Amino acid sequence: MLDVHGLGKVYEGSGRRTEAVRDLTFSVAAGELVCLVGPSGCGKTTLLKCVGGLLAPTAGEVRLAGRTVDGPPPGMAFVFQEYGRSLLPWMRVGQNVELPLKQKRLSRERRRALVADALESVGLADAAGAYPWQLSGGMQQRVAIARALAYEPEVLLMDEPFAAVDAQTRAELEDLVRRLWRERGITILFVTHDIDEAVYLGERVLVLSASPTVVQQQLKVDLPVERDQLHTRVDPRFAELRTRVYEQVQAAKLGR
Amino acid sequence: MRGSDAALGAAGFAVFVLLGEAVPRLGLVDEDHFPPAGRIAGALGRELSDTAFWSALGDTLTGWALGLAIAVSAGVVAGVVISVVPWLREVTASTIEFLRPIPSVALIPLAVLLYGTELRSVLLLVVYASFWQVLIQVLYGVRDVDPVAEETARSYGLGAWARVRHVLWPSALPYVMTGVRLAAAVALILAVTAELVIGAPGLGARIAVAQTSQAVPEMYALIVVTGVLGLLINVGARAVERRALAWHQSVRGEVAV
Amino acid sequence: MGVPAGRVTSRAWGRAALRLVFALALPAVLVAVWWVASAGSTNVYWPPLRTVFGAFPDVWTGERLRGDVLPSVLRLAAGYAVAAVVGVALGTVIGSRRRVRALCEPVLEFLRAVPPPVLVPVIMLFAGIGDMMKIAVIASGCVWPVLLNTVEGVRAVDPVLAETARSYGITGVARLRDVVLRSASPQIFAGLRQALSIGIILMVISEMFAASNGLGFTIVQFQRGFAIPDMWTGILLLGLLGFLLSVLFRLAERRVLGWYHGLRESGRRSP
Repeated sequence: MLDVHGLGKVYEGSGRRTEAVRDLTFSVAAGELVCLVGPSGCGKTTLLKCVGGLLAPTAGEVRLAGRTVDGPPPGMAFVFQEYGRSLLPWMRVGQNVELPLKQKRLSRERRRALVADALESVGLADAAGAYPWQLSGGMQQRVAIARALAYEPEVLLMDEPFAAVDAQTRAELEDLVRRLWRERGITILFVTHDIDEAVYLGERVLVLSASPTVVQQQLKVDLPVERDQLHTRVDPRFAELRTRVYEQVQAAKLGR
Repeated sequence: MRGSDAALGAAGFAVFVLLGEAVPRLGLVDEDHFPPAGRIAGALGRELSDTAFWSALGDTLTGWALGLAIAVSAGVVAGVVISVVPWLREVTASTIEFLRPIPSVALIPLAVLLYGTELRSVLLLVVYASFWQVLIQVLYGVRDVDPVAEETARSYGLGAWARVRHVLWPSALPYVMTGVRLAAAVALILAVTAELVIGAPGLGARIAVAQTSQAVPEMYALIVVTGVLGLLINVGARAVERRALAWHQSVRGEVAV
Repeated sequence: MGVPAGRVTSRAWGRAALRLVFALALPAVLVAVWWVASAGSTNVYWPPLRTVFGAFPDVWTGERLRGDVLPSVLRLAAGYAVAAVVGVALGTVIGSRRRVRALCEPVLEFLRAVPPPVLVPVIMLFAGIGDMMKIAVIASGCVWPVLLNTVEGVRAVDPVLAETARSYGITGVARLRDVVLRSASPQIFAGLRQALSIGIILMVISEMFAASNGLGFTIVQFQRGFAIPDMWTGILLLGLLGFLLSVLFRLAERRVLGWYHGLRESGRRSP
């Protein structure tokens, strides 16, 4: 579904040259949930923006379902970390979810059905008439997720979406992502700096090196599909996997 | 980046001046109505070597500075008093809302009758217009005082005067500075207006004379001078504001009023 | 906001009544003081308020309102509308491109700093002394605060918001209408508010300079003819007009920027 090949990104400005991403290659199969984890400041966001067509790579290419990505493709939806700044504060929740659909020129009934369905899935069926800033942080991120769902993407890109919410809310949102993934069979690429989160959510974890970023290691998460916060996190296999990922991230930090 | 921005800005200004030269020369507008930039510059040179110009500039600046000083002191005192006395705020709110939007130029006929072309005419208009800018910002600023700081001060037994000095004033200062900046710009507008319309001595009156005597390049030169004056006042007020508030840039807020 | 009419309690009525008393008390006192203090006034410049009030209906007859007030207000509306449209349109173009902004900013800052009333003699050269002159004066004075505030607002569109819009394919007109202009609207309104007070000043000044009708013209006529109570009624009417326009502006602002005030409020509650 998603193929990243030899991706590189170099920033150049005022005589300084910063290589953020160097020669990244990986692919995500249709319907897969892949987590990208790496030390902070390792160019995860740059990578995701290149994948999403928001940044033009300086080397290599990204292909979505066989087509080269050279701008934000209609088959991808983005969920940003800064939920408060990614929702339009002058539009109500329902309008926020609906706006990208208008751009897709869908009929009114279709739009209405998609908005209602998406808000229902994230448990915010009642909040359509509220303004985003009237909701809590976790609920705002749910709105952002609903907006992505209603867009009916083939691939959902999530950039540290839960880094700014409290632990309780975070656990709920993680379960929400797992459930939506299973129910809807969308392909998800999830970036996080939290190792536990990566292992808990992902079917596969890609460990990224420090900047300039390459893929340090790939790891299959062979935990059962059915996961929950209580049991999965005390599963000995979970502990094993997180230790492995942890070691890799540490190694990446030291640049080995 | 900043260097190239400055270069672009200078280029923009050069283009502006060149257009000012070329448009009338090419006959796109009548030279009698809009003389080429070179002739305006010549007129400006003549003005600068004329003592009457400098005394007019002095008159304008006197009206501006004196009016601004009166408006700022009155605005700050009134603002603090209204904020400190609890019921005063509610009682005065409607009156302020009514008086503030009254255009100060409505007072022109009154000023003419009472003071003629004296400086006091200018002051009446300048003070009335700039007073509200300061007062409103002071009121907003005091309302923005952190209640925790206020309660802390109260719990340590600070008296009313000490609370005003150590809690209220520093918290409101950013707003006060914004008010002063806005008032400084408004004061110049009204000073020049009073001179232009009433004929009180100053740059405005000199513009009116240039207009009636068909000295078009001189008129433009004087307008350029008022623009430069306005620019210097804006830049200066912003610099003072930044200096005074270097310690809490982050909490600085401008209220749209 | 959400209290149904049927459940408005007597306490709520009491509070509203108290607020009304607070709102009216000081104005009433001030008018009373003025009334009493000026009652026996023999000073020609400060006629008794009673005389001024008495003169009001005689001066501002239906015909005067149609012949002087209406033209003034229409010219103001026309000039202000032109300034708003031009200012927002040009400001959006300049604000969206960094290099254009750098190129134009110093010139714009200079043009804004020119006190608008000095434009009256300049524009009289070009447009004579008719309605066009006054509309042009008002427009050319009001345009700068709108323009510069729009530039600032458009420039400051949140980068996360801009990327969100881009990633969801929101481009072109929809981006301009639903993202850029809405995001800049608080600044645009701040500019429009400044422009409104400048516009009223210019409306009056341009009529004082050269006109055959209008509010500013009439008031100056009264002053020159030493019709002092009539002049006072003009000053009062002008004050009333300023107040009314500011109320209208506030209503419009509250409608358009309701979200912004809510956002700020919620930010203040939980920083």
